[in-house]
Amino acid sequence: MPLITVHVNGVETTKEVEPRTLLSTFIREELKLTGTHVGCDTSQCGACVVSIDGKTIKSCASFAWQFDGAKIQTIEGLANGTELHPMQEAFRTHHGLQCGFCTPGMVMTAVALVENNPDISENGIREGLEGNICRCTGYQNIIDAVKTGAKAMRG
Amino acid sequence: MYEFDIITPNSIDAAKSEFDAAEDGQFLAGGQTLIPVLKQRLAMPSDLIDLEHVHGLSGISASGDTISIKAMTRHTEVAADHEVQAAIPALAKLANGIGDMHVRNRGTIGGSIANNDPAADYPAAVLALHATIVTDRREILADHFFTGMFETALEEGELITEIHFPIPEAASYMKFANPATRYALVGVMVAKSHNNVRVAITGAGPCVFRDAEMEQALMGNFSPESIKDGMIPADDLNTDIHASREYRAHLISVMVRRAVAEAVG
Amino acid sequence: MDTTNITNGIGKSQERREDFRFLTGAGSYIDDMNLDGQAYATVLRSPEAHADVSSIDITEALALDGVLAIITGEDWKVAGYNPIPTKSAVRKAIDGSDLKEPPHHPLAIDRVRYVGQPVALVVAESIDVCKDAMELIDVDYDSLPSVSHQSEAIKDGAPQIWDIAPNNICLDFELGDQKAQKKAFSEADHIVTLNLVNNRVTAVPIEPRGALASYDAGTGKYTLWNASQNIHAGRDTIADAVLGIGKENLHHIAPDVGGGFGVKNGVYPEPILILHATKLLERPVKWFNDRSESFLSDTHGRDQVSTVQLALDKDGTFRGLRTETVGNLGAFCATVGPFTPTGGSSRTQGGPYRFDAIYYTAIAPFTNTCPLDPYRGAGRPEGSYQMDRIIDYAAAQLGMDPIELRRKNLIPTEDLPMKSPMGLDIDCGNFPEVFEQTIAMSDRDGYDARVQKSAAAGKKRGFGISMYLECTGGGPKEEAKVSFREDGKIDLSVGSSSTGMGHETAFAQILAGHLGLEIDDVVFRQADTEATAIGGGHGGSRGLEVGGSAVLQTSREIVEAGKKIAAHKFDVDADKVEFSEGHFHVPGSNHTMTMREAIDAQNDPDMLPDDMEPGALNISSVFERGIISIPNGGHAVEVEVDPETGTIKVDGYWVMDDFGTIINPMLADGQVMGGVAQGLGQALMENIVYDDGGQLVTGSLMDYAMPRADDMPRMVIGYYEDAPTAKNLLGVKGAGEAGCVGAPPAIVNAVCDALKDFGVHHIDMPLTPERVWRAIEDAKAS
Ligand SMILES: Cc1cc2nc3c(=O)[nH]c(=O)nc-3n(C[C@H](O)[C@H](O)[C@H](O)COP(=O)(O)OP(=O)(O)OC[C@H]3O[C@@H](n4cnc5c(N)ncnc54)[C@H](O)[C@@H]3O)c2cc1C
Ligand code: FES
Ligand code: FES
Repeated sequence: MPLITVHVNGVETTKEVEPRTLLSTFIREELKLTGTHVGCDTSQCGACVVSIDGKTIKSCASFAWQFDGAKIQTIEGLANGTELHPMQEAFRTHHGLQCGFCTPGMVMTAVALVENNPDISENGIREGLEGNICRCTGYQNIIDAVKTGAKAMRG
Repeated sequence: MYEFDIITPNSIDAAKSEFDAAEDGQFLAGGQTLIPVLKQRLAMPSDLIDLEHVHGLSGISASGDTISIKAMTRHTEVAADHEVQAAIPALAKLANGIGDMHVRNRGTIGGSIANNDPAADYPAAVLALHATIVTDRREILADHFFTGMFETALEEGELITEIHFPIPEAASYMKFANPATRYALVGVMVAKSHNNVRVAITGAGPCVFRDAEMEQALMGNFSPESIKDGMIPADDLNTDIHASREYRAHLISVMVRRAVAEAVG
Repeated sequence: MDTTNITNGIGKSQERREDFRFLTGAGSYIDDMNLDGQAYATVLRSPEAHADVSSIDITEALALDGVLAIITGEDWKVAGYNPIPTKSAVRKAIDGSDLKEPPHHPLAIDRVRYVGQPVALVVAESIDVCKDAMELIDVDYDSLPSVSHQSEAIKDGAPQIWDIAPNNICLDFELGDQKAQKKAFSEADHIVTLNLVNNRVTAVPIEPRGALASYDAGTGKYTLWNASQNIHAGRDTIADAVLGIGKENLHHIAPDVGGGFGVKNGVYPEPILILHATKLLERPVKWFNDRSESFLSDTHGRDQVSTVQLALDKDGTFRGLRTETVGNLGAFCATVGPFTPTGGSSRTQGGPYRFDAIYYTAIAPFTNTCPLDPYRGAGRPEGSYQMDRIIDYAAAQLGMDPIELRRKNLIPTEDLPMKSPMGLDIDCGNFPEVFEQTIAMSDRDGYDARVQKSAAAGKKRGFGISMYLECTGGGPKEEAKVSFREDGKIDLSVGSSSTGMGHETAFAQILAGHLGLEIDDVVFRQADTEATAIGGGHGGSRGLEVGGSAVLQTSREIVEAGKKIAAHKFDVDADKVEFSEGHFHVPGSNHTMTMREAIDAQNDPDMLPDDMEPGALNISSVFERGIISIPNGGHAVEVEVDPETGTIKVDGYWVMDDFGTIINPMLADGQVMGGVAQGLGQALMENIVYDDGGQLVTGSLMDYAMPRADDMPRMVIGYYEDAPTAKNLLGVKGAGEAGCVGAPPAIVNAVCDALKDFGVHHIDMPLTPERVWRAIEDAKAS
């Protein structure tokens, strides 16, 4: 079994993984970071999105061993203790979540969208969220949250 | 998922010899097709030969009249590349319309072309732009590359290393997305160079294809009016819950007209 | 309506308390839970729509390393458990005979009747081993003819699914006065007929279903953590009706649940199977559906075909309405299944419009498809669609203006309260005003310019409206239990359950607001059979109406008890004590005592009057609502259609809702917007398709289209708050389902409006680009 070292939310971990272990399974079951969710089996829903070296990916469509040496950020790594990341805060003020199941993937995606394009437009946000399905909110409050989050992230 | 072993070569030669040594090896690029397939237990390779660390398989370069894209270049990189945007904007747009941001951050052009999904976007560009697929052993012209549904001219263990895209005078890609997968229900790439026009259609049939009648008509007059309804017979097109073959035939005409209109500017 | 004592609780967009947990990844959903020594279970599902199971060979699978148990229908027969009963409120056919309820066992016994039906449970050390083992199970199926569509199922000669149900009919149903309807029809100037399909859809909560079971051999007690919305009723069905273990021996808990929309209300086979397995193995057992299994096995919704007839006079006055529906039940009676096309779809027939008479009939047949059960709205979306579609259709046929036709026929306020021809008690509301406000907010002034702009781009623009009438309340009873801890925290337990609706906030808001305490001190517990004795779960938009009322009732009882404590301290009669803004006081004196002081006093016998025991403020109270409440509202929609491709862009969306009192506008907006998205999904893209052989064609998110962010318009939502209901303590009318009730007819109306110049006046949902394109082509050709 390959031995991999990953830096997850700033913490270095070395573990053996089976070749077939998905990154999502590794994060949830080995690292016990259960904020990364699995909502589908065809890589459509985006509940599993994490950030690798600043780029978002669907952790259900990747193997853990592919990220040997990488910096992985999950939803658990976004807040600073009890101080929420501005994007998390914006989701909260805008009621950008209901059941919360899609939320980790949504927030990770939103942060990346804004990092790539600080002045992102409403259309840009809507298109940028193409790989993330939310069944609860109708998206509007998510869009508004991303706008506010973007503003806060610009500072 | 079934069990398999992994091999992480760092040169093309090593990748090839590892492939030959494996009982039933398979290359792994971005994994955005292969991993979902493995999860569904639809494939059972003995070994995955990871191309990620193979030197010289990634990057974009422009030389004179050609854009060359190495096999492991991610969709995101093609979409954001300034040279691609300047030389073949339609190609950058196509890459930017594949799947979603997360998929684009992993998926590669080589993987897409090798896989030849009937609804994939890149094959339309490769065919319409008359690209050349360079492998570890030869060069294959686009016209000879896509041979059938999920089938290509690649031999067992043949590795795509890069794709050369001749820069056209004008080109445009129009995609009518499947509402569920967002792959192409119908995708049309129209490319014009010198006195030649090529029209490649993906999503509509079992495999990407060109349409000679439309190409002829557009060579006569490169304008949307040249495309008449019914130029494409529906008979050989795909039919599924999202679109019947008749509707696909209709969409092809509409998408080609729109592509030409955009290319004309 | 008494809202005087709810000082800081109501009307505020309080941020949600649960959000910190959800936003930081600290939620605890079923798949996040694990127990020491747990085994994993997967379900082998039938690949056949209808077949005799002639043999199941598990020898090879059982021999696989890591396989712990394989349970089949044979084992189930031997165990002698009872089938899962339906709880349908409608149980009699028109002739008075009982509905035909076939035995619904968690595993197929001898015969399978739909693709996806559980055939065996595999338990192993890991999911991978389970899946390996499933491939080694050898099942022999002898295929039988099958039927997927309800209209086919009731025809003579159709394959028969159950011996007890000739022509596959579970039951038929009628409501209303047929004679009066016939009279109205005979007197009316016009009768307009429209055949409608309410497409089959599924809820797709982003969290799939799953459960974790454990068994304590010492006490004989089971614990089941279940991604369910209906914990108490589920416990009773599973423990008492099916397994016969006694409900006191099943502790049923829902952790955080990632969406439900009705589909997590019912009792499903899998949790029952793992309860059996956990006892058998004396190990905890966990099961979690794949998304593709969810498509096969989560109950589906809607799937009704109807003929609607509207009788009206020359001047547009509605006279009578006649609806005939055939509603698919799938292969079994699900938990509420037979109720949906019968009682569920009938009650709101006629909507907020005035009729002399309405007559509704339904037939509910079985088919070889996954069972159907309530999905957000459960019958009312179908009723609303029938009503508001036929208005536009009639307007087109008769050359009338659909807006004027509505204006003319809305029930005037002076008619309220009234009993509708369907027997529905409409207590309050102001339909004409809600209608006018809906129109007023929808920017009609700029419409013509937008039509021109669309036309210049080769597009067609259309406007549509619907006026929905809802009835909400679900299970009538709810318990709210409050106890005050020494450390100042307040435990609040409620039997209803939230799967994203924010009860943890809204209920705490009501309690803290009423008592004048800090919301942050409230510790909320829900959906746990050991936290409250009863619980109505979720369903029928009942959370606030019933659960919220229970919290308010308990809060009031606490205040009353607190008054006695204060009276004892002030040495006055309790009826002299008043309570406001968190203080007990006696008018005209300077006696005061805070709620906190009363709480501290409740454990000190010296501070209590003689007839009070310590802990007297720890109160549990059961609220029972009166008849269901009647939310209503208007949806207005603007669409732009590309006639060349048939693509629809929903370009403007306005909603005016009458939900009575609005407790928390932010949460209400969220419910409406989520509902609209699901309604838009149903109208434009969502469709569960079975082929003629009973195979599910839309078996994954690769085939089943769902709205994404770029499919949704910006929605503008307003509330009409001048008609709070007296049917519950809060004056609220359920907000949870209305969005997906109003959306489909409004959207389809808008599209048909856009296409009227082509002569297109109806298209069946979902309005996929191809269907729109075909409708235009067909209209051009004819
Ligand atoms: C949610 C989702 C949405 C998507 N939407 C779209 C879309 O809209 N349009 C679209 O076109 N695609 C779409 N895709 C597919 C995506 O573009 C994939 O990236 C692509 O098809 C395969 O590329 P890959 O690098 O991921 O290849 P992999 O999955 O790693 O490999 C695919 C196949 O190609 C072989 N292969 C890979 N590289 C080479 C090589 N260099 N030489 C020879 N053989 C090789 C592999 O052995 C394998 O058989 C989507 C995928 C997902 C998960
Ligand atoms: S779980 Fe990864 S996309 Fe759905
Ligand atoms: S909040 Fe429930 S799926 Fe998005």
